[in-house]
Amino acid sequence: MSFLSPLALLAGLLAIPVILLYMLRLRRRETSVSSTYLWQQVVRDREANTPWQKLRRNLLLLLQLLLLALLVIALARPFITVPAVTSGQIALLLDASASMNATDVDNGTRFAAAQRIANDIVDTMNAGDRMTVIRVADVPEVLAGYTNDSAVLHTAIDSAQASSALADWTAALTLAAAGGASAQDFNVLIIGDGGIGSAAEFPPIPGDIEFVPVGRSDANLAVTALAARGLPGQNPQLFAEITNYSAVDADVIFSLGVDGALFSAERYTVPARGKLPVVSSALPEDYSTLQAALTPPSGSTFVDYLPQDDAAFAVAPGAGMRNVLLMSSGNRFVEQVLRSMPGVRIFQGSTDIGMPTGDFDLVVLDGWLPNTLPQDDLLIINPPSSNALFTLGDYTDQTSGIHVRRDDPRMTFVDFDAVNVLRFRQVEADWAEPLISAEGGALLLAGEVDGRQIAILPFDLHETDLPLQITFPILMTALLDWYTPEDVLARNAFVVGEPVGLRLPADAQAASVTLPDGAQRELPMQANPVFGDTEQPGLYALDLTHQNDTVERTYFSVNLFAPLESEIAPRTTLTLGQIEVASGEEEEIGQYEFWGWLALLGLVILLIEWFVYWRRTRAPVAFRPLDLRGARQKQPGR
Amino acid sequence: MPDSIQLFDEPTQRKLEQLILRASQVRTGAIKGERRSNKRGTSIEFADYRSYVPGDDLRRLDWNIYARTDRPLTKLYEDEEDLAVHLLLDGSASMGWAAEDGDPQHEKFIYARRLFAGLAYISLVTNDRLMMTTLNGRNARDFGPARGRGFGVPMMRYVNGLEADGETDLNSALKRYALRTGRPGLVVLISDMFSPSGYIDGLTAFLGKGCEVVVIHVLAPDEIEPPLTGDLRLIDVETGAGQEVSLDGAMRALYMRRVDEWRDGIRAECARRGVHYIFALTSTPWEKIILYDLRRLGVVK
Repeated sequence: MSFLSPLALLAGLLAIPVILLYMLRLRRRETSVSSTYLWQQVVRDREANTPWQKLRRNLLLLLQLLLLALLVIALARPFITVPAVTSGQIALLLDASASMNATDVDNGTRFAAAQRIANDIVDTMNAGDRMTVIRVADVPEVLAGYTNDSAVLHTAIDSAQASSALADWTAALTLAAAGGASAQDFNVLIIGDGGIGSAAEFPPIPGDIEFVPVGRSDANLAVTALAARGLPGQNPQLFAEITNYSAVDADVIFSLGVDGALFSAERYTVPARGKLPVVSSALPEDYSTLQAALTPPSGSTFVDYLPQDDAAFAVAPGAGMRNVLLMSSGNRFVEQVLRSMPGVRIFQGSTDIGMPTGDFDLVVLDGWLPNTLPQDDLLIINPPSSNALFTLGDYTDQTSGIHVRRDDPRMTFVDFDAVNVLRFRQVEADWAEPLISAEGGALLLAGEVDGRQIAILPFDLHETDLPLQITFPILMTALLDWYTPEDVLARNAFVVGEPVGLRLPADAQAASVTLPDGAQRELPMQANPVFGDTEQPGLYALDLTHQNDTVERTYFSVNLFAPLESEIAPRTTLTLGQIEVASGEEEEIGQYEFWGWLALLGLVILLIEWFVYWRRTRAPVAFRPLDLRGARQKQPGR
Repeated sequence: MPDSIQLFDEPTQRKLEQLILRASQVRTGAIKGERRSNKRGTSIEFADYRSYVPGDDLRRLDWNIYARTDRPLTKLYEDEEDLAVHLLLDGSASMGWAAEDGDPQHEKFIYARRLFAGLAYISLVTNDRLMMTTLNGRNARDFGPARGRGFGVPMMRYVNGLEADGETDLNSALKRYALRTGRPGLVVLISDMFSPSGYIDGLTAFLGKGCEVVVIHVLAPDEIEPPLTGDLRLIDVETGAGQEVSLDGAMRALYMRRVDEWRDGIRAECARRGVHYIFALTSTPWEKIILYDLRRLGVVK
C-alpha cells in the first residue's frame, strides 16, 4: 500500500491536541459524598472482576484516535496496485448504439455492463492519468473532458444512456484522436460489442487502441425490411423481411397492424442466420400506416435479446401522389414515362370528349388544345394552333446548334446534344423563357402565367428520337418537379437518428411533430427546417397548419433497419482501417484507491464513539421508589 | 452555631411522655426509679412470700399468716428502679452530609438529632439516669448525667447546638466511652456506620459491661440510590479523600447491591451479639422509629 498524498499523514499530529483535550476533559467533576468507604469497595470489586476496566475508561479516547487515524489515512489517499486495462491519457469511448440495449449480460443491458466496466477502469486510474468519456451514438457526445477527478468521471459514466440509433464511430474516433494529438501516452479505450462497421473510413489514431468487449449471445431476431407499394388496379403489396442472426432456427409470430389495428398474425420459422421474406398482397386499399412486430410464440425457448429491432413501421406510399391528366390522341411515350415516375397518378382523358372536370396537379396536352385552357399547370406538347398564351409560327428544320441553359436548375442534368429533332414550330410567348433552343428557335419554353406554370415542347415527339433517349425521363422528371414541388417530406421512411429535412409550404402557419411516445415538438417556421429528434423507432406524425386553419397530417416512419446493430454477436476483435484490435488484456499497472472505504469505516467508528458517549452520560433511569417495607422486613426479630 | 431546629412538636412530645425505655437485660438500678425491677424490693406492689430467715425486716413479716398458720412468712414486694440510659450520636462530618440538590428534611444529622432528643426526653420524663454524648473524636460534647423533666430544656439546647464535623473512629470512640461508663444500662447508638475501622469491638465493649445495645442505622435515600452519573471524583466529606468513579448504569447497580450487602452484614453482626439493629431511612418519619420500631424490639414501652 502506498499513498498518493503522503503529506496528509502530517494531519496525524492532530492526535496530540486530541490527547491533550482528552486529558483536560477528564478532569472529573468533583462531587462530595458522605463516605467513599463503599465506593472504594465497589471500584475494587469491579476492577477485580473486569480487568479491562482501565481500558474501558479510555475507550472514548481510543475510538477518537482510531477515527482520526482512519481519516488521516483516507486523506493521504492510500492505494494498492492492481492490473489495469490502460493508463496515461485515455479516451474512453462508450458504445451507446442500439445493440447495446441487448440484455444478454447479467444485471441489465450491455450498456449497463459497459458502464460498470468503465467505472472499474476509472477506479484503477493512476494518479497522473487523465480520461475523457465519449458516448458514441448517432452523434458522439463528450460526457466529461480530460480529467483525473474520478467523481466527475463516475458521474459522467453513470449519467449516460444507450440510444436506439446507429453509432457514428468515424466521428467518435475523430473526436478522440483530436484530443490525444499532443499527448505523450495516448490510449483509446473502446467499450462495446464491437459493432463498428466498415473499416476503411476511420481516421488515424495517434496512440494505442484497447477494446473491452461486452456481450455474450448472438440470439436476435429482427424485422429488417418493411415496405408497401401500390400498383394501379391492384391491392397494395406488402414486403417484409425477418432476419435471424442467431445460430439456431427460431419460431416467431409476425403480426401486422394497419392503422393501429391488428391486421394479421402468422407464425414463421426463421432459419439460423437466414432471412425470411414475407410478401402479402392482401393489404386493404385505403390505409395510411403499417406496424410490424415480432413476438415469441408461447413455449418458445428462443430468447430474443434485442427488442429494439423487433418492430418496424411503414407509411402508405400513396400519400403525396401527384395527379396528372394526359390529354392525347395516343402517345405511348408520354404515357409510359409518366407511369414510370414515382408519385404520379395518371389519368387519361379523351380528346374526342374534351376536358374532364376535376382537380389535377398537371395537365399534359399532347397535340391537342381545348377551346379554353384549364386553370391547372400545363405541359403543352406539339400545340396544333395558336392561343391566347402564345403564337405559333411556321415549322422549321433548323434544329442544329442546340443550346441548353445550364444555369437553370431544371436543366442541370438534361443532355440534349444527342437528340435529333426533325422539325419544330416557332413559338412566341413573352412570359416564357427558352430553356432549350436551336438555331430555328426554342425547343422548350417554360414560364408562369397567372400563377400557372406552363411549359411548351413545340414538336411532335414522334418526329424526334427524344423518347428513345435517357434524356426523356430526366427531362420529364425535372419538369414534373418544377410543376409540383416535392412534398413536405422528401420521403416517408427514415432510419433512427437520421435527420428529417422538411419543406414547408409558403402558407404554413405552424408545424409540429408528434413522436411515437406522444411527445410533441414544434418546428421552427422557416423554409426548410430539419427535424432531428428521431431517436425512437416508430411512427411520427407531422401536422401542418395552413393559413386557412386546415391541419394536414403526414406520417413518416423511423426504423432501425441496421444489420450492424441487429447482429448482436459480440466481437472479440475490431478492425479500424489497417489496425486489428484484439480484446484488451489487463497488462498495465493501475492504482486502486480505497479511501472511500476508510471514510466509511470512520463513520462507523464515529457512531460507536457517539453511542459509548451517550451510554456514559445519559441520565439515570427514574429512581426506583424506596421500599421501606422491604427495609423493615430485613430487621431482626421480625 | 448551627441553625436551631424544632426538634419535635407538642403532639409528638405528648406521645413521648407516655413512653418508657426498657432494658430487659440490665438488672442493676441504682436509685428508685419509675421502672418495676425484677428484683424484690421496697415498693408497695406485693410480689411473693418466702420463709422468714433471721435478719429479715420484721416489718415485712405477715403477721396474719403467722397467726393463722404459726409459720413466719416474709412478704416480698416489687422493687422499682431507675435505668442508666446512654445515648450516643455519631457526630462525624459524614452525618452532616446532604446531597447537593436533595431534600433538606432528609438530612441525616437533623434526623438523627430528632431521634437523639426524642429518646432523651423519654428518659428524662421517666426519671432515668441520662447520659448523652456525640462521637466525633476530640470535638465530642457530652450532656448529663441528668435526671428528671427539669433537664428537658437544657437537653434540647444541647441537642440543638450539636454540629457534625470531624472524623469518627467508631470502634475507638465506643470503647473509650464504654471504659468510662460506670453503670451498665441501655446504650443507643445513632450512626450512619461509615467507619472503615469497624464498630464490632466498640459494641462488644458495651456488651461486656452488661449493657443492652441498640444500633439505629441512619442513611439518606441518596446514599442508597445515588443520583450521580458520568466521570466523577467523589470526595469523602469526612476525610477529604477522593475516589475516581466512572458511573454508568452497571456501576450504579453494583453500588446499590454493595449497600444492601453492607447493611445485611451489619444486621447479621448485631443479631449474633444480641444487639438490636434498626435501619432508619431519613425519608421515614423519625417518630415512627421510636413509636413503632423500638417498641417492636421492646426497648420502648
